[in-house]
Amino acid sequence: MTAKPSGPAEPVLDMHDIQGIAVPGFFKPYQVLLGVRYDRAPDRVNAIVRFLHDWSPKVSSAEVTLRDRREYRSSSISAKTKRDPLIAIGFSFQGLFGLTAGADAIASPAFKNGLARRAALLGDPTDPKSPGHPDNWVVGGPKNELDILIVVAGDTRKAVTTCATKLKRALAAVKAKVIAQPGATRDDVPGEKGHEHFGFDDGVSQPGIRGRASADPKDFITPRHVDRSDFPAAALFGYPGQDLVWPGEFVIGYLQTGPDPLIPGPVLEPTPAWTRNGSFLVYRRLRQDVGLFWRTMRAEAERLAALPGFAKMQDVELAAKLVGRWQSGAPLSRTPAKDNAKLGGDQLANNHFRFDCDTPKLKLVDGTDDFPQAKSDPIGAACPLAAHIRKVNTRDAPSDTGGRSSTYERRVLRVGVPFGPSAKDRYAKSRPSDPDRGLLFLSIQSSIEEQFEFLQARWMNDENRPKAPSGNDMIVGQNAAAADGTRRCILFGSGLTQAQVEAADQFVIPTGGGYFFVPSISALTTVIAPVAASGGKKKSSKTRSQTTTATH
Amino acid sequence: MGLLITYDPPARMSDFDAIPGQRDAWHRFVQESFNANIKAVRKSLQPLKGTPQFYSATQLDPGGALLEQAVIWNAFPKELLRRYGRDRALVIADTLWPLSAYDYDWRYDPDVPADTGSQPGVGMPDTFFYRPLVEYCEWHVDRDAASGRISRITYTSEPPEYWMAMFGGTQDGSSIHFPGNPQLVLDLYRKLVHPQVAMEDLLVKKAFTSPFGALKPGDYNPHNKWNTTHGIAHLSAPPNALTAEINLAAVATVLYQDADGDPVVDPDAFIAGTGMGGANRNSDPTIASTVNVLARSGAMITLANPVGLYMDHVDLSGWDVPGGQSAKDWATVVRGQDQLIERLVVKSPTDEFDVSDLRIGGVPVVFGGQIAECITVKLIGVAAALGSVNNGRLKLPTAGYVDPANAREVFVSGRRGRPNGTVKAFAYESGEVEQKAMAPRRMSFALARRGMR
Repeated sequence: MTAKPSGPAEPVLDMHDIQGIAVPGFFKPYQVLLGVRYDRAPDRVNAIVRFLHDWSPKVSSAEVTLRDRREYRSSSISAKTKRDPLIAIGFSFQGLFGLTAGADAIASPAFKNGLARRAALLGDPTDPKSPGHPDNWVVGGPKNELDILIVVAGDTRKAVTTCATKLKRALAAVKAKVIAQPGATRDDVPGEKGHEHFGFDDGVSQPGIRGRASADPKDFITPRHVDRSDFPAAALFGYPGQDLVWPGEFVIGYLQTGPDPLIPGPVLEPTPAWTRNGSFLVYRRLRQDVGLFWRTMRAEAERLAALPGFAKMQDVELAAKLVGRWQSGAPLSRTPAKDNAKLGGDQLANNHFRFDCDTPKLKLVDGTDDFPQAKSDPIGAACPLAAHIRKVNTRDAPSDTGGRSSTYERRVLRVGVPFGPSAKDRYAKSRPSDPDRGLLFLSIQSSIEEQFEFLQARWMNDENRPKAPSGNDMIVGQNAAAADGTRRCILFGSGLTQAQVEAADQFVIPTGGGYFFVPSISALTTVIAPVAASGGKKKSSKTRSQTTTATH
Repeated sequence: MGLLITYDPPARMSDFDAIPGQRDAWHRFVQESFNANIKAVRKSLQPLKGTPQFYSATQLDPGGALLEQAVIWNAFPKELLRRYGRDRALVIADTLWPLSAYDYDWRYDPDVPADTGSQPGVGMPDTFFYRPLVEYCEWHVDRDAASGRISRITYTSEPPEYWMAMFGGTQDGSSIHFPGNPQLVLDLYRKLVHPQVAMEDLLVKKAFTSPFGALKPGDYNPHNKWNTTHGIAHLSAPPNALTAEINLAAVATVLYQDADGDPVVDPDAFIAGTGMGGANRNSDPTIASTVNVLARSGAMITLANPVGLYMDHVDLSGWDVPGGQSAKDWATVVRGQDQLIERLVVKSPTDEFDVSDLRIGGVPVVFGGQIAECITVKLIGVAAALGSVNNGRLKLPTAGYVDPANAREVFVSGRRGRPNGTVKAFAYESGEVEQKAMAPRRMSFALARRGMR
């Protein structure tokens, strides 16, 4: 037998030029999103250009963000509180087009149409009276689309708020309108720190970016935790089960997914050229009706408990089946009968499982995984096919779009946080006076259509895809996309008995957002917001074009 | 459960009811395909002394609960997406390719299509056409000649064997004679495709090699102009055959191992390493892998009656139709039934508008493929008696290769050869054994029917 092969050579990314929200991603507990609208009068445009130019040095590069993350992981608690917040800037199509006509060459129908006009495609309510209809959105609705989205993220609420306040003042000085939306990981309910409002640990399964930060062959952007001798897992994963995805799925101008995850596919060519090192950012402000969710779980669990094969079904178990994980983050695939908080909190184990075959134990660099390994579950007896985690990541299982590569090319990097205070009584009916709560969903991808929209419209909302017999994604799927406005899915009970779960009402309601292009830092300073050194006014388009050519 | 009595026509369509003996002949035709494939699987398992896990419900009741497993896939061909990217794939998907291009395989370039039929190893002609739509769903776009606007788009999943059977006679590779009724075929063409269809339009005039067997003068021509250039009645792309579906479901029950003796479980590695289907499709890797994972769990597997290829549903999300109309009224099931759709027509319910007025997600529809992206195709498998069989594993007979500098698609060694400079793919699954390449051969319809795809 020949020697075991090793992993593929991985590209070095332009870490100084890519914004840090895209690579390696902002994973900070506190955020403020500043939605900006600016006037198109020439003096106002020049003013916003000056603002962008002045603030561009503070935009966090991938290099800065990765260094921040590495220092965070190695530093003491006290040091963590003193760190500067990270800043990212993205532009909607009209916001970008107002600054550079070259935006028109970006070949993305989704980006150009914007989130509000694509809402029906995403299954959002089409009835104007529905609170989730774009006409009723809190931010980014029709004729109210944001031009710019600024993300401020940090380790403390105070630092983020202070930075956001400075930005708001600077924006007010240039007569721009600003809507501020704070968000933070939840820490006000014992046992649910870092969980989203329904109570589930979130962000457990993030893809890893396959690539290096420097010429050092071991300077991986995504740390590796599987021992090199354990091929192919060592080449496929960062943390066990964390798929390493070629960077072109997140950043324009890099290698994308090919049929074989270890052999790169084609380069995603930048069009226009200055979109290289840029990404697309999807912002969805999702309101979560916690009371409705848990009352529905309770009622459906009681109904199921009376059916053969579903005895003693409880709301917590039912909710876990619909998510695919227990509230701790422990995957049903590894612990089908009950939660295991230790497993849920163990990054070396909580994402290591396959769906269609028995999962092997891996040899790890920095620990062991001694929890019971997942068993083959092709029909969804342990983790239902309609579970949210199976709807958005098919792992080793086939889908309606073919084999394993079809899930790699759909992955997005999620960098959002919850907003609003936690519910005090998770079964209580909401009242108009209740504070708003939910998720500031932010995702990074190189194609809005092929990644975020595909996942939402083609997999989560659909009654069968990616694999049948499943049903709708009961958590994030949108009712309007279901044939009769009711989401349904199939669950297996003991003895392979089957039952259907239904939800006529919507637990997750879209209340705003937008589609944004996150440019490279060089594109920001030379194409979008170039300011002449003397006059402080935007350069002519000819000059800008020359600058662009010189830059790339 | 008891034994199944007969195999019904796809979607239980009633055309055969008007022809005495036709339904029985169809049952025997489907049964013959099952038998041939079970026999072929048994033969492949002989070295392991294994038991075929593919069965016919007319001959065996494995007992216990039956687990129905719909296998679904998207209608837009992934082969085109991988090779050309979406923008160009949408354009190409609305075109026709010469039959010879299928033999010419990855060498075929639609920009330089000349002389394909004279190339070595090419057996099919370049004077008849097929659609490069290999996901068991094909479409035809009707445009207004003057304006170029789309008046109607018709989608079909009806297998060619069904229409060949309706015409009558014996199909290549089969011993079953269909009574048939050519006039019924003509009437349906006139009703579904165009009132000016003539009988002579549907007939083979000069013998040629079709993907569905050798055709002689007077036979029904599945590649006639009303099913290619001028319209669509049924599937006609070479792999889009019902018997190919049965074959794939059967051979996918066989278990394989890599060079290290470990089971091959990855869907892409499995389809490429076994060479049993199109490695770059939505459908075949999914069908084969879904079947194989159930076979690995020791299940007996068959296809549900009626055996067929179907459109499951069309996703209307984001369809923006004009004039206050409902999107549901723009997509009409013409043949088949709900979730077993054989023919779907997309057009405006009123003359006031046409398909060019339809927008999906704000983007005007200008290609049939934009709607195909919303269509889910399926077959329905059945698993029974999980854990009842414990077969050994065969070695992978072939391997998939990719271009290491630009890996877009998989080339399967042993089917049609592979381009120079490609490297072995799926090393992470298939092991590092040196595979002995099989001589390239064309997938013959007759061979597929005999379970030797």
